[in-house]
Amino acid sequence: MKKSNIEGWLFVSPLVIWISLIILVPIYIAFELSLFNVKIIGTSGKFVGIDNYIKLLVKSNFLNASLNSFYWVIGNAICQTFFAFTIALTINYKFPGKKIMANWIILSFIIPTVVVVVIWKLMLSSSSGVINSVLIDLGILDEATGFFSSPNKAFISLVLINSWRWSPFLALIILSGLNSINREMYDASKVDGANFIQQFFFITFPNLKSVLFVLGLVGTLLSFNIFDIIWLITKGGPSSATTTLPLLIYETAFTKFRISQAATLSIITSFLLLLFSIIFIKSMAPKEDD
Amino acid sequence: MIKEDNIKLIFLSLSLIIIILVFFFPFFWIITSSFKSPEEIISTSTTIIPRSLTLEHYNKILFNSDFFIYLKNSLIVSFSSMIISIILSVSAAYGLHKLKFYGNKFVEYSLLVTYAFPGVILLVPIYLLFAKVNLLNSYFALIIVNVLFATPFAVWMLKAFFKLIPSEIEEAAYIDGASRYIVISRIIVPLAAPGIASVSIFCFIISWTEYLFASILISGDDLKTLPVGLAGIVGQYQIDWGFLLSGAVLASLPVIVLFVFIGKYFISGLTEGAVK
Repeated sequence: MKKSNIEGWLFVSPLVIWISLIILVPIYIAFELSLFNVKIIGTSGKFVGIDNYIKLLVKSNFLNASLNSFYWVIGNAICQTFFAFTIALTINYKFPGKKIMANWIILSFIIPTVVVVVIWKLMLSSSSGVINSVLIDLGILDEATGFFSSPNKAFISLVLINSWRWSPFLALIILSGLNSINREMYDASKVDGANFIQQFFFITFPNLKSVLFVLGLVGTLLSFNIFDIIWLITKGGPSSATTTLPLLIYETAFTKFRISQAATLSIITSFLLLLFSIIFIKSMAPKEDD
Repeated sequence: MIKEDNIKLIFLSLSLIIIILVFFFPFFWIITSSFKSPEEIISTSTTIIPRSLTLEHYNKILFNSDFFIYLKNSLIVSFSSMIISIILSVSAAYGLHKLKFYGNKFVEYSLLVTYAFPGVILLVPIYLLFAKVNLLNSYFALIIVNVLFATPFAVWMLKAFFKLIPSEIEEAAYIDGASRYIVISRIIVPLAAPGIASVSIFCFIISWTEYLFASILISGDDLKTLPVGLAGIVGQYQIDWGFLLSGAVLASLPVIVLFVFIGKYFISGLTEGAVK
């Protein structure tokens, strides 16, 4: 072993040990639990082998939650990409107040999620919400609507709220990518007669590849992981329409007290996400050039 | 013919207006609403400029609730998490940046995946683990988890800041006989100070806003953090809006104040560092 090998590991090991302990030990515990039939925390159950897995895979609420999670990730990806690019491309231009705007656009990201929930519960309230009254005043709605009352409306509202929280953060990361693009490429393309839509697709987008790779991977996993916004607004309802896998795990463990089932769900979910990450990294990772 | 620049200008102004409406108006709305009388908050007619002005909600939350207990808990947990995260991630980021060692790419990618690692998967087993080692209902339980969630991205950002430091400065110090420790504490850390500041805010924010684990790992009222305390009001059947809104404003205040002072570095940390 070379000296830099030992030294390098010396520097990273405190963090690597901390993280591995807090991830691997619990995953081992979860795996063990998934092979037993434990209900309430603290009690012991009997060994059931892979029974939990078989039961779970045919259960309708697991399929429902997986589908919801899938739609959740896709919906958020679309909305956030759109919002984030709009913000980033807008802020990238010079206008009065640009600095202040670029600093404070991230406000929705730095406040606690619970505050995000409070804001939108108030604004979208069916009885006194400002959004309802504005939409009625504009003639778009005839009467106040409950934004969380039907499965579809609740799901879409939640996707939009979550995108509201995350897009500015993503926008700033995209913005940093934009700033690293050589300005001369735009000037040269202008000489060749390219308009700004062509510039976006032939210069901006390709040059953001490595940023988009990281955002694609991290963003997908992060939005999959969202729990508090959904839980605090709809509790997974109406009729389980907004129960994603994280909510199902939480519910199974802490409101239905089926610990082993929750552990089984956790193991299956981590396996699926790991699979996704490996495939994503292997197929999309940009080539190292430094 | 309309010039391309004009179209651009129209697009720009339009999207600016929409962005301001969508991303800033909600804040204006809850802040002004927190000063409205209870009747005005839930009235169906919308008032952009408040008709009533009252401090009753703030009075109630500051002098007649557990707000200060939650605030204290949140501050202790967030500061401790921040300091531990910074120490661990400065060390790791330096190792990854300067010392090419066997397995560094693996560590790097693993960190990236860990950053996005779904915490909820760990919720049940961490609860059981902490119950076994008697960590439930302690600040340390939350700190352990917060550090786990904050450090991967912190390392990523720090690495980028370290890259901006010309390696000649470091090499010159080694020629003068400085040890690795001296170089890190006297050269790397001071030169990367803005970066370290912005990463610190990031770690602070992560801990300040954490809800899921805090709601499960802490059951005693005297140890609850602000998000959990607020969520308790959100969950009530009859929401006392004025109380809730003033609480929401106060809970956001510390991060906003922090952001006023070092937000600039935080943004430059993201915008200059994150890509490289």
